[in-house]
Amino acid sequence: MKLSKKVVLLGHFGVGKTSLFRRFMDNEFSEEYKVTLGVQIKKKLIKFPDGRELSMIVWDTEGHSISIEDTRKSYLLGSHAFIYVFDVTREETYATITKDLEYLKENYIKVPVIVIGNKLDLVNEKEIRSQLTEKNIPFDDLTSAKTNKNVESFFLDLAEEITKQA
Amino acid sequence: MMKHQSDHSQFNPQVQVIHVTYDNIIIENDHTFFNWKEDTLILDAHPFFEILREFEKNDSSSDKKVLNFPCIHIEDDKTEKICDITLTPEKDKITITLFDYTTKYKDLNQIAQQKNESILLAKELELKNKYLLEKEEFKNNFIANINHEIRTPLTSILGFVEVLEKTKLTFEQEELARIIKRESLHLNALIDDMIDLSKIESGKLKIVEERFSIQNLIDGVHESYSRIAKEKQITFETNVDSNIQEYLIGDRTRVYQILNNILSNAFKFTEEGKITFSVIKNYQRTNKLSLNFKIEDTGIGIMEENIPYLFDRFTRFDAGKRISGTGLGLAIVKNLIDLLNGEIKVTSMPEKGTTFNIKLPFKFEIIKTTPERKKKRYTLPKSAKKYRILVVEDEEVTQYLIMKVLISQGNFFVDIAINGEEAINYIERRKYDLILMDLTVSKIDGYQATQMIRNNYGDKFISAIPIIGFSGRSNDAARDKCIRSGMDDFIAKPFEQEELIYKITKQIAKKAAD
Repeated sequence: MKLSKKVVLLGHFGVGKTSLFRRFMDNEFSEEYKVTLGVQIKKKLIKFPDGRELSMIVWDTEGHSISIEDTRKSYLLGSHAFIYVFDVTREETYATITKDLEYLKENYIKVPVIVIGNKLDLVNEKEIRSQLTEKNIPFDDLTSAKTNKNVESFFLDLAEEITKQA
Repeated sequence: MMKHQSDHSQFNPQVQVIHVTYDNIIIENDHTFFNWKEDTLILDAHPFFEILREFEKNDSSSDKKVLNFPCIHIEDDKTEKICDITLTPEKDKITITLFDYTTKYKDLNQIAQQKNESILLAKELELKNKYLLEKEEFKNNFIANINHEIRTPLTSILGFVEVLEKTKLTFEQEELARIIKRESLHLNALIDDMIDLSKIESGKLKIVEERFSIQNLIDGVHESYSRIAKEKQITFETNVDSNIQEYLIGDRTRVYQILNNILSNAFKFTEEGKITFSVIKNYQRTNKLSLNFKIEDTGIGIMEENIPYLFDRFTRFDAGKRISGTGLGLAIVKNLIDLLNGEIKVTSMPEKGTTFNIKLPFKFEIIKTTPERKKKRYTLPKSAKKYRILVVEDEEVTQYLIMKVLISQGNFFVDIAINGEEAINYIERRKYDLILMDLTVSKIDGYQATQMIRNNYGDKFISAIPIIGFSGRSNDAARDKCIRSGMDDFIAKPFEQEELIYKITKQIAKKAAD
């Protein structure tokens, strides 16, 4: 049986979850902002150079306004990884990050959480990296769905990581 | 977050029911909206159904829990729905119930879309604003620096032209010198305008409230423009309402700048006929009054469609460009009038003329006041010997120009120091009557050198030497900094020879009187 893993995109509204989703799934990008209703789900087959294959099922969830606890628990069921996305230009989208990560860690012990700062095209990368570090904001990568910077590589690294899970 | 539908009876959704085995094979489907065939894998129908693997994994005791998934987008080649989905595990099968709420969710979505959009738009505007402010700051710094860099050579050009004009010249040389002077003055005016506009736009231009004689201001304007009117052979008339108080409180410099700009335009664009300058009182309440300045000309006029763009920067409607101007004058006028809380209106007819009406508010003192002091005259104290001036300046051309100007007066010896350190060495060895100090010289700058002179010498002749600072930075901040550092006066580059001599004479005379 083909290996299948579920990954859920989480984060505040308007941070670019759907843009990352569309960029990775279909290599598309739109400047137009459209609210995501509930959840959209797509599957992508990833072929590794050594011949292994992974069917990555990505759930693009509706953004929350205040806390990640607003996200429907059923959406998170059976997840193999969470991608927590924030917008590097909007502080309110990473202001609650520590609390949100604690919540995920407590309730989904075995599920790794990867933190992504999106909309890198709108800022100076060096400046934002140092600002986030100064504010003790944990992040694994910075991406731009618009320019496709670090998107493909990030998802492929994640795919590699989750295939190692039992 | 969107409120999802928990009560499925409320909106009468269409419902589709599918039964699948624990191996995810469709046993039964009512085909209400998704036509997935029996005996096929439901996992191939849509990736959502991968969630059914959860039931495979769990043991029989816990897998009987019903799972609800609200607002799931389900689509296949033909159909697209937004459904609430219920998965009900039974003994040998799992029942999947799809409740179609597409219409309802889409309606609710509009509210969320508007709310989120407005928040994102506000952030976008904030970012754009930040970017524009950074650009503006860069522009202002650039202008301030370029101002300094241009004014220094411009000082030399204007100064040497004045020296040149005093030598014996042929008619042609005289004409060429006149053109160089005119163009240099034009460049100087352009720099002044750019600085003013930049200050206004960055909010750095401060409006001052000072007591001044409005009559004196109007007389000055009348005198200057009467001379031009005579040269152009046109009529210039000034009418002033006799009910206006002589002394008003307002920003005299900016009022003069506004009137000067409008009148200068009127004279530029009027070749024959008449220019009328009228000042009337609109109203007066307690200690406040409003004046209307009307400037009417019989010049070339402005096309009606061009009037809305009249106050834009670099706007010029004289296609032939026969008439000189920076294109910034009226933009400055409009900005200044806004800062003064005034109003400006323009009416015009091509080939007939233009009328500007400017309303400006002022205050006045109700108590009896003393008249304004006139600029005091100074003369150099009688002396058997010449006065010795130390010029601290690193630019060779400026050194040469100042030497020329001072020596031509016949009353001064001049020494040159190229930096602050050298200046200190000079004053320790020689007695000087005055120091002309450039503010940006190397090693020790003009401010530091002044503080050292004022504070480090017991010899009063050294510590009390009059010092005049000079710089290409012709702003109030530079002047204030000079005075704070201990200088007696300040002169901006490019300076008029007359003004330089006046300031030197004034300081030497004051020192002698002390």
